[in-house]
Amino acid sequence: MEFTHVNKSEKRVDVYEKVTGRAKYGADLNFANMLYASVLYTAYPYAKIKKIDTQKAKKLPGVVSVITAKDIPNNQFGVIIENQQVLANKKALYIGDGVAAVAAETKKIAKQAIELIEVEYEELKGIYDPIEAAKDDAQLVHDDLENNQVVHHPLRKGDIEKGFKQSDLILKREYSTSFIEHSYIEPEAVIVVPYQENSTVTVYGSVQNPFATQNAVATVLKEDLNKVRVVQNQMGGSFGGKDEVISSMAARASVLALKTERPIKLVNNREQSIKESYKRHPYKMKYKIGATKEGKIKAMEIKAIADSGAYACQTPFVTWRSVVQATGPYEVENVKTDTYGYYTNNVYTGAMRGYGSPQVIFAQESLMDELAVELDLDPIELRLKNIYHNNSITASGQKLDNHEVSLKEVMTKAIKKSDFTEKYRKYKKEVKGDKKRGIGLAVSFRGCSLGAEAIDAAGIILSLKKDGSLSLYSGLAENGQGLKTVYCQIAAEELQIPTEKVNFMEVDTLISPDSGSTVASRATLIGGNAVKKAADNLIDKIKDYIAEQYQQKKEEIKLKDGFIYGKKDIKIMSLKEMAVKAAMEGVYLTTYGWYVSPDISWDEETGHGNPYFTYVYGCQVAEVEVDTATGEIEVLKMTAAHDVGRAINPANVKGQIYGGVSMGIGYGIMEEVVTNEGYIESTNFDQYLIPTVKDMPKLEPIIVQNPDPSGPYGAKSIGEPTLELGAAAIANAVFNATDKRIRSLPLNLEKIIVGKNLSKGGK
Amino acid sequence: MLEFEAKKPENLNQLLEILESKKSKIKLLAGGTDLLVEIHNKSDRLKDFDYLVDITSLNELKGIEAKDKYLKVGSLTTHSEIVNSDLIGQEFPILKKAAKTIGSTQIRNRGTVGGNLSNASPAADLITPLIVLDGRVVLKSNKNKRELRLSDFLTGPYQTDLKDNEVMTELKIPFVDSNYYFNFQKVKRRKAVAIARINLAVIAKIKDQIITDIKIAFGSATPTARRFVKMEEYLKNKGINQLDYDLIKDKTGDEMVKITGTRWSTPYKKPVVGNLLKRALQEIIKEVQ
Amino acid sequence: MDKISVELTVNRKKYKIKVEPDERLLDTLRERLNFTGVKEGCSIGECGACTVILDGKAVNSCMVYTFQVDSSEVITVKGLEIDGKLDPLQRAFIDYQAVQCGFCTPGMLISARALLNQNPNPNREEIKTAIEGNLCRCTGYKQIIKAIESVVKKDRSE
Repeated sequence: MEFTHVNKSEKRVDVYEKVTGRAKYGADLNFANMLYASVLYTAYPYAKIKKIDTQKAKKLPGVVSVITAKDIPNNQFGVIIENQQVLANKKALYIGDGVAAVAAETKKIAKQAIELIEVEYEELKGIYDPIEAAKDDAQLVHDDLENNQVVHHPLRKGDIEKGFKQSDLILKREYSTSFIEHSYIEPEAVIVVPYQENSTVTVYGSVQNPFATQNAVATVLKEDLNKVRVVQNQMGGSFGGKDEVISSMAARASVLALKTERPIKLVNNREQSIKESYKRHPYKMKYKIGATKEGKIKAMEIKAIADSGAYACQTPFVTWRSVVQATGPYEVENVKTDTYGYYTNNVYTGAMRGYGSPQVIFAQESLMDELAVELDLDPIELRLKNIYHNNSITASGQKLDNHEVSLKEVMTKAIKKSDFTEKYRKYKKEVKGDKKRGIGLAVSFRGCSLGAEAIDAAGIILSLKKDGSLSLYSGLAENGQGLKTVYCQIAAEELQIPTEKVNFMEVDTLISPDSGSTVASRATLIGGNAVKKAADNLIDKIKDYIAEQYQQKKEEIKLKDGFIYGKKDIKIMSLKEMAVKAAMEGVYLTTYGWYVSPDISWDEETGHGNPYFTYVYGCQVAEVEVDTATGEIEVLKMTAAHDVGRAINPANVKGQIYGGVSMGIGYGIMEEVVTNEGYIESTNFDQYLIPTVKDMPKLEPIIVQNPDPSGPYGAKSIGEPTLELGAAAIANAVFNATDKRIRSLPLNLEKIIVGKNLSKGGK
Repeated sequence: MLEFEAKKPENLNQLLEILESKKSKIKLLAGGTDLLVEIHNKSDRLKDFDYLVDITSLNELKGIEAKDKYLKVGSLTTHSEIVNSDLIGQEFPILKKAAKTIGSTQIRNRGTVGGNLSNASPAADLITPLIVLDGRVVLKSNKNKRELRLSDFLTGPYQTDLKDNEVMTELKIPFVDSNYYFNFQKVKRRKAVAIARINLAVIAKIKDQIITDIKIAFGSATPTARRFVKMEEYLKNKGINQLDYDLIKDKTGDEMVKITGTRWSTPYKKPVVGNLLKRALQEIIKEVQ
Repeated sequence: MDKISVELTVNRKKYKIKVEPDERLLDTLRERLNFTGVKEGCSIGECGACTVILDGKAVNSCMVYTFQVDSSEVITVKGLEIDGKLDPLQRAFIDYQAVQCGFCTPGMLISARALLNQNPNPNREEIKTAIEGNLCRCTGYKQIIKAIESVVKKDRSE
């Protein structure tokens, strides 16, 4: 297929303002008469709040309002389960719970006022381990619930007893992962303006999901949705992280804005951000696998426990993706998987790039290498004997027959490019010296978009202006990943106009069609389809108009290079001329495109169904050097092969791969939010380490394109697949180098030297 | 909330007068790369102060200069200036190597030697090399001037012997003869902008394949960076081809535990200090040969 | 707190201001002078989003009090552009897709500019050292390095 704009590395539509510093992020906005808010957080991870005295704070000159839970019309919100407190009411449930909020004339006064609020707590003994929380006699994190279980997803297939009996070898292994901070470089910011036009509140800021925030604020204020307006500003990164935490901040600021009738600005500093915002779930996983001596997997039994922290947040859906993908991309006849989420008094956990996949992939891909060693098989050979191919049946019973199952292709390409086979053999041999090299790989399949979590639809409005320029209104939002560019390219492709003639209007709930959240690597796939539909509807209208006005056959009319052509390719007029004429004659050239994903199914009791309508496949190879004298790991090279269906913008796809790989390296060897009995110890970037430029290895991206029948131009997903494989590949490479199998993330200095984690608490 | 006034003396005498007159409750500010972090964090280490005195414009505290027997390094010398100094590169490459690993380019452009030493972090990267180089700090007050060995200046983690009326004006590093070899090692959790998990500085004089003099200092392994004297004694007069590395490793670990006691990190640090010393010695020997 | 008079040249324009002792250069630039291209990411000198060129050197503006830098010259991302003409680095960041969310971009550009001013011909390791204090969570740094290198190569050929 030949394209004009799609499949080309066109420059980003938002890049000029970003390289010149003109781009306005939440914290850059100011409104006349604005007040500054600050939040007082609980002093203890779990405590009864007996008394809050705000008198001194209120008396401080410059303080305009102080609120506590009592001032919040409806103190609980949540996307799935409404149990997150806007401000802690009777109890603080985790260390980032807010207790009170202040609005003052200056930032400084707001901070001073916070220190003047007197709170009487009764410190309670909290629960900080989900395994403890799961016990029958465990104390309750939420008093009104019967137990601490947030969710349990079972999946049953075949008969595992039979499967294990048929196996020549059974392995049982346990794996674990840590709390991970998104580490968007822009800390959260919201500004709420009260009574602007007909909206009770207008929320600006670093909002990942404007419609989710609109819902939350409306719920909290007990206001109609159409009175709460949310406008997204430039996002300084999100990675799944600016959802519930932003909703909570927007709700607090909204209450203050209505109390004071003045705009409220609430911006987190890094410590507040890390303390308050949700994290990626730490998992504890038990895997049991049975295989024949030839390497055919016969049965898998999996139990994964996620720490949900104080609130449900996204735990029900995160653990659902885990239950679908826990066996990895392998054909297994007999499967028993259970994933659970439990409340604890730790920081709450939610969506983060990967969304329940990086944890199980780390386990399952480590396990595959362990199995290969036990069976004395090559890790590639073992995988090739079991991986999905066209028409494979997944653990949930889905037949993969509607798209190209390209696992073998991505594996083969990554293996070849990385010289895996030769290096694997070479590195396996004993070498002298402290520095040992190793190579390892990991593969995955990933369900695209939301799957059976929720209704999966998105809308786009296109409006052709009378000068021939095009406005694009989207319900899905730019998070920094490049969505605006992709949508403008698709609209330009369909209408055959220059991409710079398309303007992506900021997401504004006032006009943008509610398209759910920009999550799950769904923007290109679902939203892209909607752009295409809207454009096709617009073209249809244009053709109708031209056919009628210029006596043309509709099917002979074409759009090309900004002009409209008719019979025998005769140029009729430019799109711009047509737009002027149409406007004068009262022809309405605004269309919408609404795309609903193909049918999917899920049975909650058995874990059967077709959870996603299509999948992407990836393989990453890590080459490392382990310093066995110090425990330091240097990642030398990462090769990443990903089937994206079709790359709408290849340079952007590469950017996603580089960034995802970098995050995977962080997950693999250095990142960990250290908590101690609910307190967070790594509250800034001096303690919470993410990769610097010097930590980045050589990167070899391989874009594989097997156009998918359901994607726009065949495009699928790339955001999350790039991040989920790195840690597993690195762990396997470390084993190849050192013969040491490390089953918990991150693979830090202590684990390499001592073989286990060391921490101040001595645990 | 911290409330303070600021002062910006124009010369050293003015500064010394301010220090004398106000006595306590003054905080000196140079590059700010530690102090502003502590102020932001409301660190417990930050004692109450009501005057912040910025000394960055005091030219008397700047400059790197070769004297007869030692190198004078002004206390306001930035880490970048150390990295870029040809004199230091020639005479004390170990200092340059250590300075390169401090923070980031931005931090090295602001952070100063005097600040790094006065902050007295157990992990400070300049401290271990300066200890083995027998560096001295010059402390001045209105009426007095004294010179201290760096190891005496550092009295504990984040604690020094600096008096309230004093300022560190310079650092003196005695020149060493060309038979000395230098080595610096740093273990970190990531490859840049990382605090030392452990650092190690070694200088050794090797003549005719014999270690005739050696100084070894570890940072972040003991409460304050210090020399491992027992190991030095053990190594002295040993032939470089007859070193029993397994024994050296064990003894180094034991010496650390003896000084520090057993902590949560001991299972990691005990073997690693030995491994690092072995690496440093081997690198030096390779250079000799 | 007593206010202190400070004279600053920012992006080639002089400003006379009165600041409190605890006003950071970052606050002065963002809030007083409205140079919001300078970003605040961590407040402790770890992320580099607030990097500016201060008297020729890249520094974290969150680590400097304004009263310390009287009579100094500051360049922010806004000052990279002269009379509407983009700095070659800005052009290269556009061409090499070196930007995603864009929050680290101003600091990244400034660090690169400070490097090239001092060393017009850096090698890859020197480029990495110049931006090691600028955290980026989106790009994996790869396209950023390529963008900076492209400017170096152009300089070489000129």
